[in-house]
Amino acid sequence: MLDVRHLTKVYPDGTVALKDLSFQVPDGAFLVIIGLSGSGKSTLLRCINRLIEPTEGEILWDGVDLAKLKGEELRKVRRQIGMVFQQFNLVKRSKVVTNVLAGRLGYTPTWRSISSGFSPEDRQRAREAMARIGITQQAEKRADELSGGQQQRVGIARALMQGPKMILADEPVASLDPVLAHSILQHLERLNQEDKITVLCSLHYLDLVQRYASSVIGLREGQLVYQGSRENIRRMTDSEFKDIYGEEAERAGGISGDISPGENGG
Amino acid sequence: MNRQNAGDSTAPAQPAPVLAVLAPVVSALLPGFGLALVGAWRRGLLLFASLASIAGLLVWRIRLVGRREVEVIDKIRKSFELQPLLLAVAVGIVLIYLWIILDSYLTARRRRSVSGVALWALILIAYFAMGWQIGEIDLVTLATEVGDAELVMSRIAWPWEAAIHREEQLLVAKAEVRIPCFEGGPERAEAESGEPYLLIEPNCGDLSTQEGSPGSTLTVIGTNLSPLTETEIWWSDELRNTFRQRQAGEYVKVNTNEDGAFQIDIIVPYRLIPPAEAGDFNTWTLEAQQLHALGPAEPSAELLQAIEKMIETIFLGMMATAFGIVLSIPVSFLAARNLMTGSRLTIWIYYLTRTLLNIVRSIEPLIWAVIAIIVVGLGPFAGILALTVHSIAALGKLYSEAIESIDPGPIEAIQATGANWLQTVIYGVVPQVIPPFVSFTIYRWDINVRMSTVIGLVGGGGIGFLLIQWIHLLDYRAAGIAVWFITITVAVLDFVSSEIRQRFV
Repeated sequence: MLDVRHLTKVYPDGTVALKDLSFQVPDGAFLVIIGLSGSGKSTLLRCINRLIEPTEGEILWDGVDLAKLKGEELRKVRRQIGMVFQQFNLVKRSKVVTNVLAGRLGYTPTWRSISSGFSPEDRQRAREAMARIGITQQAEKRADELSGGQQQRVGIARALMQGPKMILADEPVASLDPVLAHSILQHLERLNQEDKITVLCSLHYLDLVQRYASSVIGLREGQLVYQGSRENIRRMTDSEFKDIYGEEAERAGGISGDISPGENGG
Repeated sequence: MNRQNAGDSTAPAQPAPVLAVLAPVVSALLPGFGLALVGAWRRGLLLFASLASIAGLLVWRIRLVGRREVEVIDKIRKSFELQPLLLAVAVGIVLIYLWIILDSYLTARRRRSVSGVALWALILIAYFAMGWQIGEIDLVTLATEVGDAELVMSRIAWPWEAAIHREEQLLVAKAEVRIPCFEGGPERAEAESGEPYLLIEPNCGDLSTQEGSPGSTLTVIGTNLSPLTETEIWWSDELRNTFRQRQAGEYVKVNTNEDGAFQIDIIVPYRLIPPAEAGDFNTWTLEAQQLHALGPAEPSAELLQAIEKMIETIFLGMMATAFGIVLSIPVSFLAARNLMTGSRLTIWIYYLTRTLLNIVRSIEPLIWAVIAIIVVGLGPFAGILALTVHSIAALGKLYSEAIESIDPGPIEAIQATGANWLQTVIYGVVPQVIPPFVSFTIYRWDINVRMSTVIGLVGGGGIGFLLIQWIHLLDYRAAGIAVWFITITVAVLDFVSSEIRQRFV
């Protein structure tokens, strides 16, 4: 159970990115965060694994306040939280397998990363992760030789290598076309359902939200403006929609007009 | 006055007529200030500055060209005579001056700036005329004397005759000649078999006179010399002074045939005989000398020296690059903005490092070499020091820019896996900076080897030292060998470095 309480983030330049944000995420949930660009989605996700320091508030995860962790303890928690990025954030000039293995760094002693690299067990684990995500063929290629969809799969494999209890996905499909978007989200969904990994994912398209989310929160200017389940999304009213996306926003064709997702069907 | 005012309908009822008189008068006293008076400040000041600077340059050149003269008027006359271009500039200045007065009048009357493209063009032409004179540009000399470069250029272009050396032996055949004839010639030496032998017929004769009437003609026959070899004819007079036989202004040279024999007619030259030696006759010696090559061709001393120094040069560049890399990496971290924004102190260090790098980089390696020579003396170590200092500054800047331009995304991603600082650097930063580091390093090595060829010019070791020495000795063939080696090395290095860069980047 992730319990975020009164989370506030003010950047040094005075920008208030998150304002007194509170919500709960049960274990095994697929929580989707929606909101405009700049509404605080990325800041929220990065506060949870402390890539960004929260200004105020608590982030309780199984009773531990992540906001107060330091040094070694923080790194131990971080390795249980995988992260997937919009721009994939792979080391482009390194091989795919090296990028995937980087997910084990939190478990690798420093002397080993300097001298020999990774243990045979880790290498075996990497093979399994790549097989599961379907990138075994690409293992020896350089990361920047891969297409966007393949790169994001490498990103997921890297997160999977951590053996995570939670995955934070920051707009993981915003740089991909709709078909690839479904493919990537299906991988996340499978990890969520088969491995019981809690997923926190920010998304832009409501049809995707509808299809994959088990629950949804909406942010606007750093504040929580919407909270609901998958069913609630289908019945979202115009006023709720405008709460999230602003007065000028228009719902083109309604939210049920989604794109058919490849093999699985809507 | 009234008419002007009526004609200028757009002008407000201002005292334009007064200014129309005042502006040119002021401009005549202080060029351009009349324009300032009617509001065209910038134009007026610019014109004044242009005219004043051209006039100043002209005065300087006239004083320089006419420095031998005492009176000012003579100086001017002399300099115009020697350098007609200066006269042209003087005329130009007068034209510009008058034009400015006219411009002031027109501007004052119309109350707006008059287009003066031609005026600016004239000013520009005056500047270029001064530049031509100051630069002492002399196309006539260039065109007529260009042939003088031929000898030097041809030796530098094909210097390889100096690269081969054979051990040589001087073969001499000699015979005595009596001057003038007195009871025939001296007794002839016996010919020994196999030894070089010279037969002169007749073996006595009269000198040429100072007035120009030629002396006796002697037929010289040499045998048992080295075949097909250039042979020189030398005299040794009664004082044992040796001099070479000249005929029609040229030294006499003759080539031997396949059997090592030659025959040539020579005229006994003019020679002032000291009165103390004036007796009945004198005995001179005539020598046929030839350089006889012995043994196989071998590399000349110059070639070997050039090879040694070239190797020294390449290693000089290599060592400087190696030291430069090692020392510039820590410096580059201090000069990378994205790593140094942590606190006020680090920002200060950043600015300090940047400034130092810029200063050091802007001082040429040749100057660093001069400084290094003062410290460690002549030789390659001074060159290494000079290039190292310059490399640290240049590489430090390039490396720091590579660090500044890395993508923060992968670093964030590696941090998110729970990696510690060192692991983040190894897996997130290093892979990103290696390609630009390799690229810059090879580039720098390239520059350093090229620079090390010239660093010797000031005594910093390497082939440049030899090159400048040979040029000063006018030994253009040897200098040509050095030039060839430098060219080949730089070309090979260019090729190798671009190959390596392609592999890495």
